[in-house]
Amino acid sequence: MLRVQEGEAAAFTELVLRYQNRLITILDHLVGNRQTAEDLAQDVFVRVFKARERYQPGAKFSTWLFTIANHVASNALRSQSRRPEINLDARESGPLGANPMENLAIEKSGQMPTRQLDSVELKSAVHVALQSLSERQRMAVLLSKFEEMSYADIAETMQLSQPAVKSLLSRARLNLKSALEPYWQNGEITAAKANGTVGDDDL
Amino acid sequence: VNDSNQPHENSDHLWEELSAYLDGELDAAGRKKVEARLASDPVYSTMLQRLERSWNALDELPRAETGQAFAQTTLQMVAIAAESSAAPPSPLRRGARGWWLAVAGSVLAAGLAGVYVGKRLYPDVNRSLLEDLPLMEHLDAYRQVENVEFLRQLNQAGLFEEEGDRAS
Repeated sequence: MLRVQEGEAAAFTELVLRYQNRLITILDHLVGNRQTAEDLAQDVFVRVFKARERYQPGAKFSTWLFTIANHVASNALRSQSRRPEINLDARESGPLGANPMENLAIEKSGQMPTRQLDSVELKSAVHVALQSLSERQRMAVLLSKFEEMSYADIAETMQLSQPAVKSLLSRARLNLKSALEPYWQNGEITAAKANGTVGDDDL
Repeated sequence: VNDSNQPHENSDHLWEELSAYLDGELDAAGRKKVEARLASDPVYSTMLQRLERSWNALDELPRAETGQAFAQTTLQMVAIAAESSAAPPSPLRRGARGWWLAVAGSVLAAGLAGVYVGKRLYPDVNRSLLEDLPLMEHLDAYRQVENVEFLRQLNQAGLFEEEGDRAS
């Protein structure tokens, strides 16, 4: 990042290549739409480039990157919720596309081998469980799971206190458990029943 | 999960403790406490396994795989952003610059006018002293004469001529 700060184009290319998949993965699961995630990731990289002079040497780049990503995704989700009638893209993400349950029923009627079907079902159940978390819980889970961030780094990225992150992740784990246990017990794919308060007031 | 689990299940504190344990966020003493309880309390141990199982299920989530094309498009967007930030100022910005120049010119003119008026109102004492210096240098001689007519007569008589003047 220090090389980028000095205006080295090759360094920025390297940075994009190094972080693009990680960033899109987080954004995809956060906004639930791959195309939107890619658009937002590009927006994030443009912002990173524009703000390169404000980067503090010594700061962890990934924390800085995901702080920007968190802002960008939150804004996108906010404007998406203000315009519910507009579907950003028909190609929803997730292992079974836009409507996991419907698509799963279609696939079940085919000749799919049982093991493969189980895997598809599990992916679908996990996807539904994750999407049923609040935006903040989802972000904290994704940063912890995919980026292996500590509570301190998640707190910095999400601009929360460490005890708030601890509580957020604990509730997120409980909600995931509540959503997935019915699947493991009876094959039901359900969204998480709120443990505590689901939503942005869950802190 | 049987009813005997209920006291545990309802304890937010225990879930939070187990969650922090799984995240590796407990200090040595906290970790030791959790591990001791895990060894002796099967319900507590089951709670941990349930949390762990759902967390591990997140590994099923797909991870993005993008290639050079995405990077290339991104870099093009960045290049456009860099160009627009380095481009000459827009007409609006040029207008703003003109406005600032006009303000700066007005301030400078007002400053100069202030200096002029100030000098008129409060004359420089040193300047008037310099102007009167020739008079002060010969003040003693001037005091010895009674009037200007007498001085003119002395001058006509050649009393004030220097040695050089006389020689020429």
